[in-house]
Amino acid sequence: MKTFEEKWTAWLDGQLSGRELAEFDASLPDRAAAEAEKADVRKLGALLKRELGVSAFANEEFFSHQLRERILERSVPSAKREANASTWWTIPRLLWTGTASLAVFLIFTIFVIRDKNPAEESQYLTQILNARVDPVVSPNGTVSMFEVKQDRVTVLWTEGLQSLPADYAAK
Amino acid sequence: MGRTLAFLISFVSLIIGATSELQGAETVWSGLVIAENVAQPQTIPPELTRIEGSLKKFFGYNQFQVIGQSQKTLKTGQEDWLATSKFFGLHVDAQGESAAGYVLNLKLYKEKELLLETDAKLSKRSPLVIKGPQIGSGQLLLVLVIQ
Repeated sequence: MKTFEEKWTAWLDGQLSGRELAEFDASLPDRAAAEAEKADVRKLGALLKRELGVSAFANEEFFSHQLRERILERSVPSAKREANASTWWTIPRLLWTGTASLAVFLIFTIFVIRDKNPAEESQYLTQILNARVDPVVSPNGTVSMFEVKQDRVTVLWTEGLQSLPADYAAK
Repeated sequence: MGRTLAFLISFVSLIIGATSELQGAETVWSGLVIAENVAQPQTIPPELTRIEGSLKKFFGYNQFQVIGQSQKTLKTGQEDWLATSKFFGLHVDAQGESAAGYVLNLKLYKEKELLLETDAKLSKRSPLVIKGPQIGSGQLLLVLVIQ
């Protein structure tokens, strides 16, 4: 046995027919007001359908939709994982880092070379640390040093060594 | 492509940095040279070519002849060797290597008699010339060059 509310809902939806419809129509206290309400409900239903626009799927469409949803669910975390796994070192950043490192290296090299130059100038030349002649063999022997900047030649100049005959020039 | 380029840049930087530290074994040429003034001077020995101008200017001779020589490749910087002629001997004792060159102890002997002794830091880019005794009308020179 249906209640009045169930019959009312069925009547609004146009689900009543035959004797059931006749009995329900007879039970309505104000038929005109009920018809107006029915018209309002239909209008509201049409409006909702139009505005919300829920598209109905056929069975196969629904199935493939579900499949796509699952595939997406699985692929989205792996994409996230991939995004996490790919490091900060992207190709442009690697290039920039390499270029910046090279620039820093060159700047430091230039500064170091510039600082080193004065010291290196003396390193270029051979240095005579000390020199002595045998005082017994050459009692008047003296030594002095020169640097010839033209060819960067260092000369140890001796004087007063014992002179020798030309025979000593033999190979 | 991009990664390769970045790798290449880093690699080249490292190579440039490391190259300055790489130094191989070097050869020291030591020679006993007689400098003279002659009418027809002979060609200067190839070992002296690079300092020909300085030799002529400083010592005032036009001919330089090698009467004794030695070429020693230094590996440890602690080697010693002898360059000899008939009457002279130049004993060279390397006593260590630095970034600039080698520390050498040099002794010039006339037969068994020590004429001259000196310690020098021989630079790789700077030859050393020692004026020895007068011989006849010429002059004995001792020359050391890192080749």
